[in-house]
This record gives sequence, structure tokens and C-alpha cells, in this order.
Amino acid sequence: MAIKLEKVVETFYENLEQGKIMGRKCPKCGAVEFPPVYACNSCGSLETEWVEISGKAKLHSMVLPAALSSKPEYKALGKYCYGEVELEEGSRLNAVVRGINKKKRAELLDKLPVACHAVIYQRDGYKTIIFDLDEE
Amino acid sequence: MNQTKVNPYSRGVSIIGVGCTPFMYTVDNPETNGLTEGEMFGYAALKAMEDAGVNPQDVDFYFHGEASPLNGSNYLTPNIQIANWFGMKGKASIHHSEACCTGYLAIEQAVNAVASGKYNCVLSGCVEFGDSLAIGSHPYKREKMTMEKFLQTTSWLYDRNYTRSLMAGQELIYDDAAEWYKRTRGITDQEMDDTLNWMCINNRRNASVNPLALERTTYEELAKEKGFDNVMDYMRSPYNPKMGDFLRIGGVELKCDGAAAVIVCATDMVEKYMGNKSHKPIEVLGVGCAACEATTPHFEVRATEEAVRQVYDVTGVKPEEIDLFYANDFIITSHLISAEIAGYLPYGEGWKYICEGRTAYDGDKPINTNGGRTSFGHAHAASGMADLYEAVKQMRGEAGEGQVKVKHDTAMLRGYGGAQNICTYIIRTKED
Repeated sequence: MAIKLEKVVETFYENLEQGKIMGRKCPKCGAVEFPPVYACNSCGSLETEWVEISGKAKLHSMVLPAALSSKPEYKALGKYCYGEVELEEGSRLNAVVRGINKKKRAELLDKLPVACHAVIYQRDGYKTIIFDLDEE
Repeated sequence: MNQTKVNPYSRGVSIIGVGCTPFMYTVDNPETNGLTEGEMFGYAALKAMEDAGVNPQDVDFYFHGEASPLNGSNYLTPNIQIANWFGMKGKASIHHSEACCTGYLAIEQAVNAVASGKYNCVLSGCVEFGDSLAIGSHPYKREKMTMEKFLQTTSWLYDRNYTRSLMAGQELIYDDAAEWYKRTRGITDQEMDDTLNWMCINNRRNASVNPLALERTTYEELAKEKGFDNVMDYMRSPYNPKMGDFLRIGGVELKCDGAAAVIVCATDMVEKYMGNKSHKPIEVLGVGCAACEATTPHFEVRATEEAVRQVYDVTGVKPEEIDLFYANDFIITSHLISAEIAGYLPYGEGWKYICEGRTAYDGDKPINTNGGRTSFGHAHAASGMADLYEAVKQMRGEAGEGQVKVKHDTAMLRGYGGAQNICTYIIRTKED
């Protein structure tokens, strides 16, 4: 491998168009960066390489949208929360998780973390990643 | 998460002068409508120089902080435009911008410049028109900032490649800390709501005795005006509506206009600069900094933990030595969670201290004695520097009606902002 001036962001979004969710794996310590970036934030390796993400994940926290924390466009998501999501590969990120409203949150609070999975979601002009509860 | 080992300064640096404007809605008042960046920053800078006992020619360099100079002032290089206003024409300067953390990193920059040995005496100031925008075609007129424009520019705080696309990081700023605190400390929704409300009440009590504060009417008075006998009934009412999952409107910043400044110098040169000034210098013992982009889960918590770890490590100060605590609380939850992370309030017990009023200016664990962002006001870059102004006044015993009743030799200040920088520092009155 070598350090490359590389279009990581464009590649990530182009892969979503093809139905693939890609991250970057550290060849030294095995940590996976998601969303993908050049270097490893776990061991400091200068290089990472592309790896496909399984999409399996766990939800660790739940915040419901409200007046300050939602946008008209988000109505299309249905019921959802924001929360800390841990990918099977180990990366953790803030993400949207569908299938959760106030009642569902109350049911899940004592069961965290709960299983969820990544879904490729169409926004205006590009695709992105959100998550759905496994049981939904 | 990455950690950094911070080393002690090459030489001591002390705060010798502070200045601050009132925090205000300038365009709403004929007496202040038309004030400019040079006038606001210049006033704070000159007040700081006067306070320190120096003149502009004694000052070697200045730092200029403004969160949104292009949007708010139509400036790309705002530091360059205003030096003449405070007598520093020709002196070198630099502008920096870290959104709501600007006023905290302003200290980090100034102290580093002196501690390195390059400069002996430095000014660091911040200005912001958070409530108005420059009319670019006019030499001094401004117009009110619309919420639409404000929200457009705050969206620029977040990573364009991933965070905005993922839709979560930028929305979690309002409630993530409350969710984290409630879950990890095992308190109920009602206890969390009461705690958020009591922070608002305490902040406003503090502001009510601070002549520079934006909002000085206490919540008790507001409740009475609306016919409530109990202030908490008012806080839980539609007069204080939920705007977030946990957050009510009273816990959201009051964006406004203001400026503040500080003069620092080498500690071993204090006598040279301060002349016959009688107040004691206040030494900056150390600064800890961290930053977590908003896709990082619990970004405020994680970056605060790291910054606090650094500052205790490099200073050797223990949490029980902190007399006063300040936290940028543009989302009011910040002042609870940062005070607990810093060990200023005991783990899992901080919410009780707040609900018992112990964190108000006359309590035994004062926090944000100026009223914080929800009452003193939030002139984004300038607010952190205004916190330092307040801390210095308290530590000197010059805070007037709002003077704390407890020992006030050592303070910790925790800045936060810019999705998200964290800067935490400890200052202590320099004994003879």
C-alpha cells in the first residue's frame, strides 16, 4: 500500500448507488473506519484499505426528534430516533434509526443495546445510510 | 479515542486585565443601534488595558476571535480592520474562529504566545453580532438576524461529506447529553426535566444581579406575572415549551451581541506591566483541549472527558480544589454534565445540587455566576471571554451584588462549540 490522493467520499457514495456499504480497514490493527477516511484513528496507521460493511449493528442510545431537531424532509423517515450505533465491525457513529417512537423507546430502554441493520436510503440527489430495527 | 499528553508551560502566564461590554440586542435600542465591530471590540480591549494598567504600546500582539465574520460582519480578515480602534495600528495579529468555543481557545492562543517566550504581553479579544447582520452596502447599519439565516449558517458547522448526509450528528446537539446523563445516572424523565428547569432558574438568578447580563427578570417574577404561585409549575407549562426531546425553550441560548477581552503577560513581568494596580494577577495553570466531529457518539461528553483529563494532568490540581465552575451552556445541559465530568459536582449527584439551588451564585458550588448563555446571553465568540471576565471579577471579589459567598481562588472554565471543540482551563489567584 501507499498513501494515495484518493476520492474516498465520492467512492463511498458511488458504492451506495451500487448497493454496497463501504468502510476502510486498517491493515495494521484491523479497526474499521466508518464513514471511511484515509487514516486509522485507533492505532495511527497512515493507511487504510476498502472493506465492505456487513450492515449488522447495535443501537446503544435513543433521542427522539422534536421541534429543534427535525426538518420537514425527515417526515419521510416515518417514526425514527437518533442514536449511537455500533457496527459489527466495531465503528460507532451517530445515526438515524427507524422504527422507534415514544412507545417503542419505552419498551426498549431496558433492553439496550438492541440489534439493527443498515439500509441504503435515498435523499435528494444522493443515497445515504440509515438503520432499521431488526425486529421491525 | 486519541489522547494527548500536555506539557507544562515554558514560563508562567497571568491574567492582569479584563474588559467586557454589556450583552445586548444592539439594533433593538436606539442607543446601541449602529455600534460597529471596532467600537465593540475596541471598548472591551481598552477596558482590559485600563484594568491591567497598560497602554496599547505595551501590548505586543493581539488575537481576534469572531465565530462568523463573513456572515455577520462581511469581513474575511476581521482582525486587520479594527486595530486602530484600540491604538494597536501596525501591531501584528491573527483572527481565529471556533464558533461558540472561540472565546475559550482565545485564552489558549494568548497564553501559548506568552509562554513560548515570543511575546511578553498579549491582548486576546472576541466580538460577535449574534443578533444582527452587517448591511454590506452601508458603513455601519445592521439588520436583525432572521432565524432562517441563523439556521443556514449554523448548518455550516457540520461536516459536509458525511455528517449532514447521515442526518443525526447535527440534530443530537440538543438532547444527546441529557439522554446520556439520564441513562447513565439512572434518573427519571421528571427528574431530568426538573434539573434542566432548575439550571434555567439558577442561571437567571445569577443574571438578575449582573448589570452586564441580557435577561435579568427572574423566573420567579415571570411566573408571578403569569399567575403561577410556584415557579416550577411555570417552568413545566406551555410558557416554557419543549423544543427538544428533553430540552425546553428556557434551556436554549439567547443569541445576542457583545465583546470581551483579556490582557495576559509573563508572570515574572507582572510588576512591570501592572504598575500601581492593586489587584492580584491570576495565573493560567493549564489548558486542556480536545475535539470530536459530530458523527462521534456523545461528542460533547467524550471531548470534555479528554480535555478535563489533560488539564488536571498538567496542572496537578484536584477537582476538590476548584472553587468556581463555568461552562458554555448554549444548550443548558452542558453545565450539568461538564461539572460532573470535571468532578466539581459528585458523580450522579450533580442534578440534586442543581435542584437544591446550590449551584447559584450564593450557593456552595457556584456555576456560571454571570447567568450563562440562557440568561447572560450568547454572543457566540465573545461569550467564552465574558465567562473569563466574570471569573476574574469573582476571584478578585469585585462581582458586586453577585459576589459568591464561598472561597474563590481557583476556577475551571470549560468551553464548547463548533461541532465540537472543547477547551478547559484552570486559573488561580497568584499569591504574593
